[in-house]
Amino acid sequence: METYLYITAVIGVYVGFAVFIIGMGWRAYQWATTPKSPVKLGMFPKPKTRVGRFFKLMKDTFIAPQSASIEPRMWLFSFMFHFAALAAFVGHLRIIQEYPILPELLGEEGMNAFAGWAGGIAGVLMMVAVIYWIARRTFGPFKQLSVPEDYLLLALLFGVIIMGNHMRFFGHGVHAETYRAWFQSLLAFRPMLPSELVYSNVGWSLGTHMLFTDLLFIYFPFSKLVHTIGAFSANLVRSE
Amino acid sequence: MESQQLTTLTGVIDKKMNRQLKQYMDICARCAICKDACHQYVGTGDFKYLPARRAELIRQIYKKYFTKAGEFVPALYEARDPDENLLEELYESTYACTGCRRCMYYCPFSIDTAWILSVAKSILIAAGMGNEMLGQLADAAIFKGDNAEMFEDVMISGFKEIEEEVRQITGNPEAQVPVGKQGADVLYVALAGAHSIRPAAVIFEEAGENWTISMFEAANYGFFYGDAEKARLITKRYIDEAKRLGVKEIVVPECGHAYRVAEFFYEAWSKEPMPFKVSHILEKVDDYIKSGRITVDKGIIQGKVTYHDPCQLGRNGGKFEQPRDIVKAVTDNFVDLTPNREKQWCCGGGGGIVAMEEFTKTRLASGIKKVEQLKASGASVLACPCENCRLQIEELNDIHELGLEIWQVIDLVVAAMPLPGNKKAAE
Repeated sequence: METYLYITAVIGVYVGFAVFIIGMGWRAYQWATTPKSPVKLGMFPKPKTRVGRFFKLMKDTFIAPQSASIEPRMWLFSFMFHFAALAAFVGHLRIIQEYPILPELLGEEGMNAFAGWAGGIAGVLMMVAVIYWIARRTFGPFKQLSVPEDYLLLALLFGVIIMGNHMRFFGHGVHAETYRAWFQSLLAFRPMLPSELVYSNVGWSLGTHMLFTDLLFIYFPFSKLVHTIGAFSANLVRSE
Repeated sequence: MESQQLTTLTGVIDKKMNRQLKQYMDICARCAICKDACHQYVGTGDFKYLPARRAELIRQIYKKYFTKAGEFVPALYEARDPDENLLEELYESTYACTGCRRCMYYCPFSIDTAWILSVAKSILIAAGMGNEMLGQLADAAIFKGDNAEMFEDVMISGFKEIEEEVRQITGNPEAQVPVGKQGADVLYVALAGAHSIRPAAVIFEEAGENWTISMFEAANYGFFYGDAEKARLITKRYIDEAKRLGVKEIVVPECGHAYRVAEFFYEAWSKEPMPFKVSHILEKVDDYIKSGRITVDKGIIQGKVTYHDPCQLGRNGGKFEQPRDIVKAVTDNFVDLTPNREKQWCCGGGGGIVAMEEFTKTRLASGIKKVEQLKASGASVLACPCENCRLQIEELNDIHELGLEIWQVIDLVVAAMPLPGNKKAAE
């Protein structure tokens, strides 16, 4: 178990993080250094001011009202996924540093219970959305349009989420504090795996959660997931 | 596939590469939200017309030859060579596309499929698979530009005939269709055929505009064909003419793509700033009505009137309100189509598709949404600016027995003007 965790939750994290940062930086650099289209590709109506363009960009990127109007169900599941993923990301910050104020208000147990509920809901929402996306790609034009990349990414996401949920729902007694000890040791470049984590009932699920996470991060810059940064400039072009 | 052909075709992508294309290639999630935005996909249910699929063919080449990941693991992206199979499908899906950009409107990343397909057209042309009809029409226009003197006499006698008609309609024996007038303020670049000149001439004359008519047409088959150089040469014909005559403003006819070419594309093609103000004729007419330079009467146009936004004029040109204001000036009985403006359905006749007989079946099937909209509006009169839209909707009108009267907007205006020629026509 320790070797497995050492590979996925120590080495893998470093490798995944490095590939992700360098890869995304390289991708952004490539975009930034390729000359812009000589033709203005905007469409109407377009905002006349910079501020207007900025707000439209934010609205189009974070809410995508046009997409909502044409396929509400797909929009709903996609919005749900992205929102829950953001919530999960924010929740994960707790393993770097405990939040201020909130734990004092709720107390340690209260905080853990809150994190349990919030993380649990986010995890379930993400899982439901990914299942919907997988199901949608199994028939008709959606299946015809799909390429292996699409299924690979969904499989990786599914792996990350289901293992995360396993830790969340079955990791009784293992709370943020334990994970924080592990993660802070990575940040300090003195990796250490707390034995109460390694030998708990969620040791293997952490290992597998991290296996999928590492792979997702390594593949991220080479996949369509670069839309996480590309969507902003592509949507801005709409108003130009 | 042959390495020389491969080098040529990937070279085309390399030459056409820019930030937008690169991002569109990299970020599409293949979510297929664009599926129901496309009139052709909705009308035919044919997978090759799904917008993301049209772009996917270019993406497959891009992945294989422009990304390391696609080079190492092509199977992951279904990356492949631009072989015969790919090019055949690309031909069908690219030249069928009307360039309405409705898919871009609904895309969460605003991916401009029409822009990707402009690269597809360059690839097809390099592979010797450019559409012949569009290519010939473009070449004919360029030939006319190079040999203008050959066409001069016949053009001028045509203008004189129209001038006679304008005199009858306006009842003004001095009315003119001025040709080559030095010092005119406005150069009107019409379409081939009297129908786009006569009503415009009546309006310009009644408004007291200092105008002159161009020897060339605003239609640009080089744009539809997908060859930027041809498109530039076709446009340059009237740009040079405008420079020679010293006009202040170029006015393009109701035609949708002509406006977009002059206003948005020419600068990029010629790499020089457009030296003139470019106006659409309906902007001018709206201005003439609002400023009282021409008078229109309500009540002459009978029945419920609706208006179709040509994609190149509306969503892609930004002219939503002026044409509507004109129509509302000639009737109190106006109803909008649903959806309208930027969400307006493409009629299915744009992008040069009406000139390509091989796509007739697709074109007519793709008009179904427009037919539904028109039926639901309950209108009996349709004001429809773009010539391609009008040809398409006239055909749909016959096939689906919609019983619509279909008018150019400037014809509606002339009919609603209190002119002696109109009264005679009514008697």
